Amino acid sequence: MTGSHSPRAEDPARFPWLSRHLLWTSDPSKVNRLVWALVILCAGLTLADFFYHKHSHFEIEQVPGFYGFYGFIMCAALVIAAKGLRVLLKRDEDYYAPYTVESEEHPEADLGRENIDA
Amino acid sequence: MPELLTPATVYILAAILLPFVPKGIFRQLVPVLVPFAGVAVFWTLQSGTFSSFNLMGLHIGLMRIDDLSRIFGLIFSIAACLAAIYAWHVRDTIQQVAGLLYAGSAIGAVFAADLITLFVFWEGTAIASVFLIWARRTEGAYATGMRYLIVQIGSGVILMAGVVLLYRETGTVAFSQMELGSLATWMIFIAFGIKCAFPLLHNWLQDAYPAATVTGTVILSAFTTKLAVYALARGFPGTEILIYIGAVMTLFPIFYAVIENDLRRVLAYSLNNQLGFMVVGVGIGTPLALNGTAAHAFCHILYKALLFMSVGAVLFRTGTAKGSELGGLYKTMPWTMAFCVVGAASISAFPLFSGFISKSLILSASADEGHFIVWLILLFASAGVFHHSGIKIPYFAFFAHDSGKRPKEAPRHMLIAMGVTAALCIGIGVYPAPLYELLPYDVGYEPYTTSHVVTQLQLLFFSALAFTVLMKTRVYPPELRSTNLDSDWIYRRMLPAMVAGLRHVITGTWRFASRVTTTRVDRFIATIYRAHGPQGPLARTWPTGSMVLWMAVLLGMTLVLAYI
Repeated sequence: MTGSHSPRAEDPARFPWLSRHLLWTSDPSKVNRLVWALVILCAGLTLADFFYHKHSHFEIEQVPGFYGFYGFIMCAALVIAAKGLRVLLKRDEDYYAPYTVESEEHPEADLGRENIDA
Repeated sequence: MPELLTPATVYILAAILLPFVPKGIFRQLVPVLVPFAGVAVFWTLQSGTFSSFNLMGLHIGLMRIDDLSRIFGLIFSIAACLAAIYAWHVRDTIQQVAGLLYAGSAIGAVFAADLITLFVFWEGTAIASVFLIWARRTEGAYATGMRYLIVQIGSGVILMAGVVLLYRETGTVAFSQMELGSLATWMIFIAFGIKCAFPLLHNWLQDAYPAATVTGTVILSAFTTKLAVYALARGFPGTEILIYIGAVMTLFPIFYAVIENDLRRVLAYSLNNQLGFMVVGVGIGTPLALNGTAAHAFCHILYKALLFMSVGAVLFRTGTAKGSELGGLYKTMPWTMAFCVVGAASISAFPLFSGFISKSLILSASADEGHFIVWLILLFASAGVFHHSGIKIPYFAFFAHDSGKRPKEAPRHMLIAMGVTAALCIGIGVYPAPLYELLPYDVGYEPYTTSHVVTQLQLLFFSALAFTVLMKTRVYPPELRSTNLDSDWIYRRMLPAMVAGLRHVITGTWRFASRVTTTRVDRFIATIYRAHGPQGPLARTWPTGSMVLWMAVLLGMTLVLAYI
């Protein structure tokens, strides 16, 4: 990933107030804390399975944490499989050019580009 | 003079009059207000068929009101209104007229009581909507629009053929429940299937939707496919094959969604996946499942429009919707980000968001009927949709690595449209009773049970954990500028290549044949020439021969002169 981050100093105070409250998402140590919170939440949800009567249709649902593990494994499998598919399916952006919008710029007439100077 | 009143009439009249409304606030108000007039036409009517008449011996009914058509008519109207607010800045008359005609056709088709009316509006949606793609006014958009139009009109032609055959078989054109079996019903089924983006018939959707204008895509996302879902729910409820078609539909688009770079195309893939849930509901066909389909279509139109609106706003401000070019936009577009997250939470079926209270009806219905494998697939697809629509879209657009782009927040009218849509998504999720009231069947269903909430949260948070782990370990595929081959490769590359190959073979054969013939003829002439030419053995008698000839000419001349 190549970030074309502008080198000039920005003044976060000029961001909209909602954004200022989210600036911590750019701080890796705080994001790590969020990740740990997620791990704890997942563990808690798995444990929660022991404390209520699960209403189910299939036997497999009675396995504690079934939904969680199924979701985790299938999502990981999904991404890895999709990554594999990319080897087969990926082509250049101008593969279908000029009969595709992929290789074109979006026409300016349809846009309202405006930047803010922070 | 037959009675022609249907909500579609209101839209069509408005579309005809719109170019004559002076430009400015009044013209912008027309598309926003027309949906209200459209709802007023049908909302107070009791169930029954209105505006019916005989046309060349066919019984035509323009407005059939029942619970199923009412809920689809309502959500289409809401979508038309929200899309018009979102498009407040658009001064392009063509797009405004096309938008009105498109919404009107879709609503007209929903209320059609007979297949002829359905066909007319079915084609109406195709023709009107293509102008939202062409409105981009680039070569690529023109070509894409053409492909879209050919597929859509193709669907209409197959529908018409099916209707004609059905009329010959049964002597009626009424649009009611059908049984798959004859060629006629299969053709109608395929026509619905094309518009519903069945697997392998789907690619027009992912091809065309990202090619439309910023506002055009929002309008496109609402109508065509959900009209097809409605048509299937009306014509083929309980058709078993739909369960499996729907399950495949939920499954394969999520793989594409993971590797696709254009976020509007990611949304088109996830749209396809959500349609799969609705198709499964139609296939199961129990009252609970059909309620699920109707409820899911209702919620889906809202959150999908919301997602397309937020990504559209990003495109509007930055000029691109490609994941590889975006990132860090939360810093300057926080409200767009917040609305995007609401849409993402809704499509992922988080408790308290709309998707939760609608998708669970379909999942419960599939489990009730004991379809274990289908249920597992739907569960996987639910996790998958969270993965790519719930996390990928907001993450790569608004967070991830900072792209350095500092676009201004979306314009106020876009924020209003997104805000209202987001409020509806949350409102339905928190208080689903009014939506359940509207559903076609009377089924008591309680989405907020402990089991359901806990298991759904497990599914979602563990999926989020999987995403996090894959990002941290750098296994997650990065966003790359690319084109991914899909079934459109068949008609964009393979068939043209086959035709080109065939042409090559034919021209080759022709060249070879003509070369062989020419050589043979040349050789034949050469042989004759060798024998009879000036140097040939048979030409040795020439000098004597020509002397005789000239003698004859000379004698003849003498004879003529002697007589004169």
